[in-house]
Amino acid sequence: MFYTPWICTRCLVRTTRRLGGRQLRWHSSAAPTLASTSTSKPIYPALLERARAISKEHASLSQQLAENFDTKTAKKAGELATVVDALKQWEAANDAYTELSTLIHDSKTDPELLALASDDLPSTTTALESATATLTQTLVPKHPFASFPCLIEIRPGAGGGEASIFAADLLRMYTAYCAAHNLRAQLVKRETADGVEDMITEAILEVETPGAYAVLRGEAGVHRVQRVPATETKGRTHTSSAAVMVLPSFPANDEAGELGFEDPGSDYYIDPKEVRLDVMRASGAGGQHVNKTESAVRLVHLPTNTVVFIQESRSQLRNREQAWQLLRARIAAQRREAREEELLKMRRGVVGVARIGRGDKIRTYNWQQQRITDHRSGLTVHGIEGVMAGGPNLEKIMQSVRVWLAEREMEDLIATESGK
Amino acid sequence: MPRLPSRLVAQASQRNPLLALVLRTCRDPTSAALELKWLRDYAVQHCVHTRGNWRPLLFRLCAARSRGYPLQYLLGSEFFGDLEIKCKPGVLIPRSETATAVTHFVNQFNPAAFNLPPRLRVLDLCTGTGCISLLFAHLFPKQRTPVKALQIVGVDIAPEAVQLAEENRRALLDQAAISSLQNLRYIQADLFPPEESQQTSVPSLIGRLEALGQLEWDVILSNPPYISPNGFNRDTSRSVRNFEPKLALVPMAANGLADADHGDVFYPRILEIADQVGGKVVLLEVADLDQAERVAAMALRYDWEGVEIWRDELFSHDDTKYIGRIRVLGTGHGRSVLCWRKAASSWLRRDGESNTTGVASG
Ligand SMILES: C[S@@+](CC[C@H](N)C(=O)[O-])C[C@H]1O[C@@H](n2cnc3c(N)ncnc32)[C@H](O)[C@@H]1O
Repeated sequence: MFYTPWICTRCLVRTTRRLGGRQLRWHSSAAPTLASTSTSKPIYPALLERARAISKEHASLSQQLAENFDTKTAKKAGELATVVDALKQWEAANDAYTELSTLIHDSKTDPELLALASDDLPSTTTALESATATLTQTLVPKHPFASFPCLIEIRPGAGGGEASIFAADLLRMYTAYCAAHNLRAQLVKRETADGVEDMITEAILEVETPGAYAVLRGEAGVHRVQRVPATETKGRTHTSSAAVMVLPSFPANDEAGELGFEDPGSDYYIDPKEVRLDVMRASGAGGQHVNKTESAVRLVHLPTNTVVFIQESRSQLRNREQAWQLLRARIAAQRREAREEELLKMRRGVVGVARIGRGDKIRTYNWQQQRITDHRSGLTVHGIEGVMAGGPNLEKIMQSVRVWLAEREMEDLIATESGK
Repeated sequence: MPRLPSRLVAQASQRNPLLALVLRTCRDPTSAALELKWLRDYAVQHCVHTRGNWRPLLFRLCAARSRGYPLQYLLGSEFFGDLEIKCKPGVLIPRSETATAVTHFVNQFNPAAFNLPPRLRVLDLCTGTGCISLLFAHLFPKQRTPVKALQIVGVDIAPEAVQLAEENRRALLDQAAISSLQNLRYIQADLFPPEESQQTSVPSLIGRLEALGQLEWDVILSNPPYISPNGFNRDTSRSVRNFEPKLALVPMAANGLADADHGDVFYPRILEIADQVGGKVVLLEVADLDQAERVAAMALRYDWEGVEIWRDELFSHDDTKYIGRIRVLGTGHGRSVLCWRKAASSWLRRDGESNTTGVASG
């Protein structure tokens, strides 16, 4: 079987127990030493093996089809075709790259040709890298929540008032990003520090477009800012941070029963009896005596002491729906994380994959130097204004993270597969 | 309402003068910030006269709010269950406690009560914005009882109220196409007969129902004026006292009544009407537990089969208590009195438990 569907982490836990001591190594199929600026990003041998095996299966399916057509086989072959194409492109790019670097490293190459080859190297390297990325992405199974909308939660971290200002900056950044990419976004919650508009203590943005989770999930983690705060009188640079959480957002009801809202074994199941609902009570006598405007709702999930508080809408009912949606997303995320954590503990030392957890800083925004660096993909882009306005450089850095994530997921998959 | 420390107000006005204005009426900075946001959203949407400049409008809104003018009149609506109800000065703003009681009431109906009539006839007395009848009409069909159709009439003495209730009905019919709203109408009438009435120009209810040829009704819902003169001076918030219609809050009554009796004036009259129209179920809103007990005692005198008191929060039935023979449900302030005739006890799932309702065994 070549197309492994997304493996639920419960199954992964089981399979990793059988995982042998096989180490994964980076492997470059090209010549080993190159000018340091143009080393192509390598590819996993296991990944290549996998792609080649798929290619072989595709060939045999095509053979079968030529002799005896049936729709089921045709469908399967169609599914494999994208990998076959990606592999072909990768092989072409890799050949070009290998040829070029052999030339460069051959002492007998004539100087004029050497100069020409060196000129061609950067573009050939880029082509190979993008072919590698595409191939990796076609092989990684879709994330189970990839097609869902999502919730982005932003909270200030270390750094006091400046962190609150940065949290507001990030909220603006994601709002602008969504607008620029035709993603429907709605503010669920925006709490300001004592009503000061540009300082937030918590914000939740719901991105309602299906698939938004796949687009934005790489944004989760601690974002760090280095700049001279507006409030700083001596011109010193401060470092502060804000935490971003990205949760898949589930429909309010699960009519098809797909998510198992009603199934006690599912991550999304919440026993209503374990949730306490608090609403704002009017002060004093209530009823006709007062016309209160508070519509806040608080839900407490008693077993985990998870609290959600929503007061954004004037409609208490709307707040209650939003609160339930949020509670469900948070509880599901907690349960999933707990399992992933367990899995990771077991795999650490076996695979040696460095993983960036929820508490680790993932990206730095440096105002003075006008640069933004993502610590996972290693990519740096320039121009703070553009990025904070949701411009093309933000998408560029986000895309680098998507590729990085796909690679990590590939590693997981290979680690699991090789244990079988 | 507790006064805000002036330090807080001073701090807020330095940061944001509009927030400071709103804070004069709100209890705390958080709710003031929220109200300011709602007002700003409204101003941004309604700044046509100032050609897109919403600041002058926002400033006027905040200034009005600082004097205690109700937010719901400024924004033109209030949420009631999952309905948005239009609000206008001169008509009482719907309260969330009322929505809770109406929702709970609808939930009592037994989907398997086969003695429910195919057409259920409902009166909403003192209807105001029409919120009670509108929410009932919206929720009741979802309960999936054997009832096939609703016939609802809402009644108010104030022409502004009748007009606004009708406006609300139309708006909801357009928006949500709630078909049960088609058999809902609002009429202007005085609950009291001419000889007891303080406003002789408005026709009395029984006369109007006779003229309509509809003297039989199954369910009577009412949130009548129930605040006594002392209660009005002592317990109402500034925003209610100064800006909501007193006609909706304090019963008009002849002089010389004791304070509590003055607040109770509508209840015997509504129970009398219920008798005249053959009502099977009555749900009445009240000010507090004391008034609830007085109303429950009146109902027992009118020979109702079961009488129950509901408080503000009705999340669980664990808090059930008894006052004498009367069951009291929920926590918080006493808020409603429910009365039913024997015929309706199975409608409301109160038949198999006559010992817990207490009254039947007495
Ligand atoms: C407390 S308000 C209730 C409004 C609405 N049912 C609600 O819950 O928001 C009472 C209403 O009773 C009306 N009312 C006062 N005296 C009345 C009378 N004698 N006959 C009919 N309606 C009367 C008032 O105009 C007012 O709209």
